[in-house]
Amino acid sequence: MSWTEAHVRRLFWRAGFGATPAEARGWAKRGRAATLDWVVDGPRGGARLRGPAPHLRGRRLDPADVWGDDVLWWVDRMIRTTYPLQEKLTLIWHDHFATAQQDTPLMLAQNRMLRRRALGSFRALLGDVTRDPAMQLFLSLADSTKDAPNENYARELMELFTLGSGYTERDVRAAARALTGFSSRYDHSGLVSIAYRPDQHDDGVKTLLGRRGRLGVDDVLDLVTAHRDHAPFLVAKLWSYFVATPPSAATVRGLSATYRRSGLQIKPLVRAILSHPALYANLDAPDLVKCPVVYLAGALRTTGTYLTQDYPTWMLHQMGQMPFDPPSVAGWDWRPAWMSSNAMCQRFALGNYVVTWGRPRVRRGSAPATLTPRQAFQRAWSAVGEPHVSTATRSTLEHLAKHFFDDLDPRWRDTAGWRGEALQATLRHLLLTCPESQLH
Amino acid sequence: MPRSIHKGCDDFRQTSAGARERWLTPRLTRRQALMGALGGGLTIWSQQTMPWARVLEAASAQAAGAPGVRVLVSVFLPGGCDLLDTLPPLGAYGQYADLRGAMKLDAPPALGATGLGIHPSLTEGTGGGVKGLFDAGKVGFLPGIDYANPDLSHFHSRHFWETGLVTERAAPGWLGRWLDHHGSRENPLQGLTLASTLSPVLATSSAPVAALESPTDVALDVWGVGGLQERQMLDAWARLAGAHARGAGPQSVHTAARLAKSVGDRLRPYAPRQDGSDPLAPPVPYPDGDTLGERLSRVAALVAQPLGVRLAAVDSDSQFDTHDDQPRDLGDGLRSASQSLAAFQADLEARGIADRVLTLVWSEFGRRPRANESSGTDHGAGGIAWVQGTHAASGILTDYPSLTDFDSDDNLKVTVDFRKVYCSLIEGWLGTDAAEVIPNAGAYGRLALVR
Repeated sequence: MSWTEAHVRRLFWRAGFGATPAEARGWAKRGRAATLDWVVDGPRGGARLRGPAPHLRGRRLDPADVWGDDVLWWVDRMIRTTYPLQEKLTLIWHDHFATAQQDTPLMLAQNRMLRRRALGSFRALLGDVTRDPAMQLFLSLADSTKDAPNENYARELMELFTLGSGYTERDVRAAARALTGFSSRYDHSGLVSIAYRPDQHDDGVKTLLGRRGRLGVDDVLDLVTAHRDHAPFLVAKLWSYFVATPPSAATVRGLSATYRRSGLQIKPLVRAILSHPALYANLDAPDLVKCPVVYLAGALRTTGTYLTQDYPTWMLHQMGQMPFDPPSVAGWDWRPAWMSSNAMCQRFALGNYVVTWGRPRVRRGSAPATLTPRQAFQRAWSAVGEPHVSTATRSTLEHLAKHFFDDLDPRWRDTAGWRGEALQATLRHLLLTCPESQLH
Repeated sequence: MPRSIHKGCDDFRQTSAGARERWLTPRLTRRQALMGALGGGLTIWSQQTMPWARVLEAASAQAAGAPGVRVLVSVFLPGGCDLLDTLPPLGAYGQYADLRGAMKLDAPPALGATGLGIHPSLTEGTGGGVKGLFDAGKVGFLPGIDYANPDLSHFHSRHFWETGLVTERAAPGWLGRWLDHHGSRENPLQGLTLASTLSPVLATSSAPVAALESPTDVALDVWGVGGLQERQMLDAWARLAGAHARGAGPQSVHTAARLAKSVGDRLRPYAPRQDGSDPLAPPVPYPDGDTLGERLSRVAALVAQPLGVRLAAVDSDSQFDTHDDQPRDLGDGLRSASQSLAAFQADLEARGIADRVLTLVWSEFGRRPRANESSGTDHGAGGIAWVQGTHAASGILTDYPSLTDFDSDDNLKVTVDFRKVYCSLIEGWLGTDAAEVIPNAGAYGRLALVR
């Protein structure tokens, strides 16, 4: 398989938050294997954050206590991390194990756990998620006792987290009993702890997914992940985040085998998906809609823009994907559901913020009105990180550049720098927000 | 902290599981069901995606099918508005002064021959503000309103008022349930929230509803680019949006890009013009820079358009949770309410639509009769609400609570259940059976709120 800048851009967008022009050029030269290794394994020594830490008008972020700073804290990681796949998987697990409406410190602790476990063993991730305080409170696993077992977590564990099908209502009830025993303790300042109390656990005999015994918490997690429907379920789910077309039955079988052979490790499965030819189909016509978080963080990362404003918080809310606040336990509605005229109007508006405060801002005196349409386009395209642009888009924008001065006397062109700058702002805005840039 | 369990009369302990599900199942209240949002200034909640053209079509069809239809407007004063300072009892002024100490109102204007006074801020605005409306027979006050065993949590109490159900469980709003029974399946503008998100009062199970902060923010706008260049930019956008797209993702993006432009174009008649003039500009003056007034002016303007608006919900921006410095904060909040509501009434009358609009002003609870140490009052029971409009019953419509006989928590004794008011409005103004919307509706009795 050949390996071009277009391949690198596709991989970097799907596995992370886009490629800068330097990354596209550099990794195209180093080749496919080296690029995949770097993307999947991350830099030696683990993820680091590059570039300036966010300062919002001189203020440092306070993610636990200032509304919206939790979102900015995470978006900043997406912009500056040297291991984008880890942040992407953290976002994917946040959608998969969707949790909301809990205290911010609990949500941040969950977020760190998801990041730590993002590419390791799925069973270990599931174990931590099951014991995570924010999740336990969200799905009523905390204080589900032998006298009053709550089925909420047991049901979502099988329906949304591990299986999707292949279990019965009896299994839900049995799992709920086996998962009892977690007790919360509060004092005047809030939650003190959630602890497992054997005296609150139902240690009777249950039958779950065909296994009979005095099953406990880890038995449940072992049984659901060992179930034959688990691997195909997780494979199809993870695939859908990376590739627009559904996997064939043979692909699901192959990836499931990879996943099982590795002992339910996430990284080899993700590596196999990111290496799959289907991911590189239609390089000149991207077909996967960017979710709002990836659209926003990608626009900032690929243009070299660091956080100095708080607009990402409320823009993400308006575009329909507020991190730490998914709409339900099923996560966000992905794919075409991201798109509506309202969402597009908001995505269009993002252009104003990036072009006004970001690296692509138009410096005074930088864009004389005497540039040719081609030069004007080229300058705008470079300023926004050389995104993929079709020839049709390019000619539409050059046409706009050509007629942008129609109402001015040609003799004034030398002194119409202000109009040249308005053209640059318009071209950069359209390049950042046009339909093509909503896709990756 | 463990959530305090409401010990009041949970309507649902008395009913079957099936009956509970009937009242509680909220579908469109889940953000998951939020779809078909249209335009930056307008969000639609619906179970079906609705192309913009169809929304306008459905709106004008509904308006044409029922011209002159009645409209109910809900105005919420958040935080728990104090009864004693809003309508000080002149007949028991000594007791009032003892309870309120230094923060008492010194010589509140009298409210006719009712034996009650009124907060001076409520005399501000067009024609003497809310007091002027009362004097003109267009306001009926409901002192002592609340429910039995009041829950003093903002969150819980607000939820009860919003849903018309005394339960902590999620449920559609009481006006949302009315739309589920009697609204259109097609027209989201029938239930209009003047805010960027849906008011819980108007959350529905199935009927489409809409939230609108301002119809002026929907244009595709590049900052600093206007005139000919803006038109050229929009033409370029239309070409980019019209490009051929293959596959579900690209098609959804291009469709949304086209729709975003057409929504901006279609709402342009309602957007401010280049010369600064505003087509929704009210025919009467509203208070300057007051958000409540601005929202009410848009309600009046949109009710006057053929859009089929039946119900509207507006929140005051003021804070009525006056734990300290009540004289200042309550004065500010009531001034904004008085000026905005008086302007709203004048606006409706100037547009000739006043006879079909009734407004309910409410707050989630009242406040403790005895002042605290910070010139404020703590959460209490027995609050204040009122109905306003040319068809509103006027006067003092409920018993004023005693200032000597408090409940066991030293709060005012509740004299009227808010669900009695809801049932009376549903039957007296909207003209439908209250039992469809309020469980156990027969138990609350009725008030004559409409004339």
